[in-house]
Amino acid sequence: MYRRIKKVLGGDILKKRGKGIGVTFYGTGYGNGFPDVSRAYARLLEDGKVEILVGATEVGQGAKTVMVQIASETLNIPIEDVILVNEDTSKAPDAGTAAASRQTYNSGNAVKIACENLKDNILQEAKKILNVNSKIGLVCEKGSVYVKTYPSKKVSFKEIANINNNLKGEGVFIAHTTQMDENGQGAPYWPYTFAACAVEVEVDTETGEVTILRAKLVLDVGKAVNPTLVEGQIDGGFAMGVGYALMEDVGLKDGKMLNSSFEKYIIPTSLDIPNIEKVLIEYPEDTAPYGAKGIGEPVLLPVAPAILNAIYDAIGVRFYEIPVTCEKILLQLNKG
Amino acid sequence: MKIELNVNGKDYSIEIEEHLRLIDLLRDKLNLTGTKEGCGEGECGACTVIMDGRIVNSCLVMAFQAHKSKIITIEGVEDEDIKNAFIEEGAVQCGFCTPGMILAAKSLLDKNENPSEQDIREAISGNLCRCTGYNKIVSAIKKAAEIKRGGRNV
Ligand code: FES
Ligand code: FES
Repeated sequence: MYRRIKKVLGGDILKKRGKGIGVTFYGTGYGNGFPDVSRAYARLLEDGKVEILVGATEVGQGAKTVMVQIASETLNIPIEDVILVNEDTSKAPDAGTAAASRQTYNSGNAVKIACENLKDNILQEAKKILNVNSKIGLVCEKGSVYVKTYPSKKVSFKEIANINNNLKGEGVFIAHTTQMDENGQGAPYWPYTFAACAVEVEVDTETGEVTILRAKLVLDVGKAVNPTLVEGQIDGGFAMGVGYALMEDVGLKDGKMLNSSFEKYIIPTSLDIPNIEKVLIEYPEDTAPYGAKGIGEPVLLPVAPAILNAIYDAIGVRFYEIPVTCEKILLQLNKG
Repeated sequence: MKIELNVNGKDYSIEIEEHLRLIDLLRDKLNLTGTKEGCGEGECGACTVIMDGRIVNSCLVMAFQAHKSKIITIEGVEDEDIKNAFIEEGAVQCGFCTPGMILAAKSLLDKNENPSEQDIREAISGNLCRCTGYNKIVSAIKKAAEIKRGGRNV
């Protein structure tokens, strides 16, 4: 019995636990005076479906899904009736890069504006066909337009397209981006996304290894257009944050990368990442498409500070440089 | 030199150069481009295929070593449960790691229909993913296992 307790106590001393949090805010888009414009076109097709042309690149983050969702919501048509053309530069207008956490907010806005303009043109045409004096009393629903107080007075998008095959809408969204002054003061971005991360870590004082035991990430998304995709971004961003805090180092020396292969440039594996408790706060942003702000990069930013704070809580050592590798931890522990 | 092998149920007899890697044979000679090359040095698992029931990094296997073997690539995975679970759970982002992940998952589930979370994490620990942070891949494999055990019909 005595020996067992001693062993457990020994274990406790070798492995120390700590908790830490990190809180950040981050601007959506290029910001700081760099021109940030997204364009989109919407067009009513012969079969009553709607074509959306927007140069928003899909890199796995979900731009294709989100643009279709925004178009379907704006025109009140099923997802299947939206035909997206987004990666053909001969057809789709420029919507900037899939970077700076900007596609949902910026290009999503352009798609929404294009669809609103198309909708307006569709209603204008429906007004003539349905023989009413104004668009005010018309409802757009599931690919048809009808008179609110007289629903059987109805015309489908397909019928409208057959009468007028030139119904289009253009959307241009210009984001707020102003340059800061020489002292770094000003209003470089709009809007901002807020994120908070909490972790509990265990530091092995014999090997210097840090294990993340638990994690929670709270993200102010404005509106989650697609919650599964947002969760995917949180999981991915968290893992990148773990790599950033504990492992990843390109090792620049005299302008050359020392760690240019996965043998030396270590990124997290499935065994390094815990399940993450995720909380999405939906406080819609006025200038955003249905309230949705950029979230790609904001999910990553609070992770490293949270981990470094947790390490401090565990072993009482403050690190000011990342990555905090096993070697660096052992070096510090053996100092004192 | 000439080798014989079976890829995704089809027999091949092919003339190859000695220095050819299995991944080149699959991608360049057989046009099975679902298998990806990430690092070419056995670190990332993007090139994972199943060779005689075991997962291997096809960038580290020489083509001649595959003589008389049975290979399954992503194109030969008929198991819809795993693929559907990946789609349903949102386990695919850029998709570069996905073929390797699915083969690693298949190889696990072929042997163990009731894996623990730790089993799953270990089974895919040789496959790097830069996008998903792994959690949705882990839940997809859990779900696929559940479906296989008859927990749910899709
Ligand atoms: S390409 Fe084979 S392990 Fe990376
Ligand atoms: S989904 Fe992009 S690397 Fe895994």
